Amino acid sequence: MKKILRHLLHRNLSAAQLIGFVLSNFTGLAIVILGVQFFVDARPIWDDEESFIRKDYLVINKRITAANTLGREASNFTPAEIKDLGEQPWVRRVGEFTSANYRIYASVNTGGHSMSTYMFLESIPTSFIDVAGTDWEFHPGDKSVPIIISKDYLSLYNFGFASTVGMPTVSESAIKSIPLTLAIRPDNGRAPLDMEAHIVGFSNRLNTILVPESFMTWSNATYGEGPTPPPSRLIVDVSSPGDVKINEYLEAHGLEVAGDKSGSQASFLVNVIAGVALMVGILITVLSFFILLLSVSLIMQKNRQKIHSLIMLGVELSDISGVYVRIVAGVNLLAFLLAIGGMLLLRGSYLPSLQGMGGAAGNVLPSLAVGALLTLLLIVFNVISIRRRVSRAFLN
Amino acid sequence: MQSITLKNVRPRVFEDEDLSLSQVWDTDLVFTRGQTYVVEAPSGTGKSSLCAYIYGNRRDYTGHIRFDDRDISTITPGEWQKLRRTELAYLPQELDLFPELTAMQNLCLKNDLTGHLPHSRLREWMEALGLADRMDFPVGKMSIGQQQRVAIIRSICQPFSFLLIDEPVSHLDARNNALAAEIIMTEARRQNAAVIATSVGNRIGIPTDTELHL
Repeated sequence: MKKILRHLLHRNLSAAQLIGFVLSNFTGLAIVILGVQFFVDARPIWDDEESFIRKDYLVINKRITAANTLGREASNFTPAEIKDLGEQPWVRRVGEFTSANYRIYASVNTGGHSMSTYMFLESIPTSFIDVAGTDWEFHPGDKSVPIIISKDYLSLYNFGFASTVGMPTVSESAIKSIPLTLAIRPDNGRAPLDMEAHIVGFSNRLNTILVPESFMTWSNATYGEGPTPPPSRLIVDVSSPGDVKINEYLEAHGLEVAGDKSGSQASFLVNVIAGVALMVGILITVLSFFILLLSVSLIMQKNRQKIHSLIMLGVELSDISGVYVRIVAGVNLLAFLLAIGGMLLLRGSYLPSLQGMGGAAGNVLPSLAVGALLTLLLIVFNVISIRRRVSRAFLN
Repeated sequence: MQSITLKNVRPRVFEDEDLSLSQVWDTDLVFTRGQTYVVEAPSGTGKSSLCAYIYGNRRDYTGHIRFDDRDISTITPGEWQKLRRTELAYLPQELDLFPELTAMQNLCLKNDLTGHLPHSRLREWMEALGLADRMDFPVGKMSIGQQQRVAIIRSICQPFSFLLIDEPVSHLDARNNALAAEIIMTEARRQNAAVIATSVGNRIGIPTDTELHL
């Protein structure tokens, strides 16, 4: 019976219309899932290595101009300025950079080779730092202090220094295992102190050498001379990093955001492109949905008398709509499978260059889930429309 | 199902007409299982409407139709489909066969909804009505008389308590009329079913318990 039913109702089906639908739905779905997949794969490029500083933290400093190059005070923030900044609606909280108020040298000793340099240290409130576990802690009396350095320093060494003087280049993981020695040379009459330091991370956005706040408080109190100087840099937790008011305020007060701005611009661009691709894909998918809806409606309209006759015979309405539901589900699933294939194919061609830029082969589940959800929605809407049309043929 | 009751049923198109002479419209009428009825009337008086109202595919009437004690306006589409497979058999005047299917396919489509009869019985009936060589012939290429015989067989290849046949023999000669009448009555008696036949003059040759005029 079902065979005869299918034989009857498959008449008037247009292969061209169905192929047209599969192609357009394939295009739409492929763009959508490729967009999602690209977003997932490209994410590490701008999320890279910054796990301990959240993206909505801005590091700001005063713009250095010819007028304030000479005076040190000019680049420092006054308590009034900090208070004013903290009162802005887009600011959640403000943290100050505290500098070490004593002379300090760092040295590296690698099997005979020893390098030593005069350096500086800064700290920011611990609540702004997000280092997993107990790595970012210091208690007076500890033999070793954790530090975070700017990634630029490593790049400077690897690509600027090491290559020109014939020193070996080092990777991030290698440099973490190299023992550093911090030599504190106070001018306040206290005995000098040598202590170990170990690098726990690199930052793109903090151009400094960072130590825990507890170390800074203790060392400034013990070895510092005179009062701690006011901060020249602030770290600000903002509620919405894209807010135009932020830029207006910074502009008006001669401030600038430090760190890797191109990262956030790239992230913004990728977001926009992925968003546009997603919208185009969804638009094409929706249009293709209407193509299918129309062609199925057309076929059902042509077959209306036949459907009515079948109903008159006592054939279950669900058996009649089932014939069309099967067609719709079939072509939708086919389009989805083709789209997955297309996505994997294109992904294979962009992935190598993306990985070179810091991307990674991310999870494919999110894009497949989005595709499956869209396919399911299309099928559900079509099924509703088919059932409605069959019920309408019940009466003469 | 034991009875079909019509209570003051009147087609909406006859709303302002005098129907006082009608034995069907605007009166109380009961069709009882096991009986045969012939509704005799000229064209345009609502014979097909009567069948369509009882079969549930038209609702343009006032009054009430009941299957036993149930008003048919409360029957859901799903329930109608079950009734059409197991209680109500119907041969529409326009036959409603599928022209692209063969005669046997048309019969099987109906019969296999319930698996009521073995296919051998369908073939026997086809042979009895002189269609032995037309079983696998597309219905669309048959003569109207042949189509009518296929439709008659199709209408009875299901379990039923009431058989509605709307001008069933309008295109049959006397011989085929008698043959069709015999097959219909045999099957109706076997199932203890009622037969309600309409006619414009060329009446099916079944023994009539009640004759009604519209």
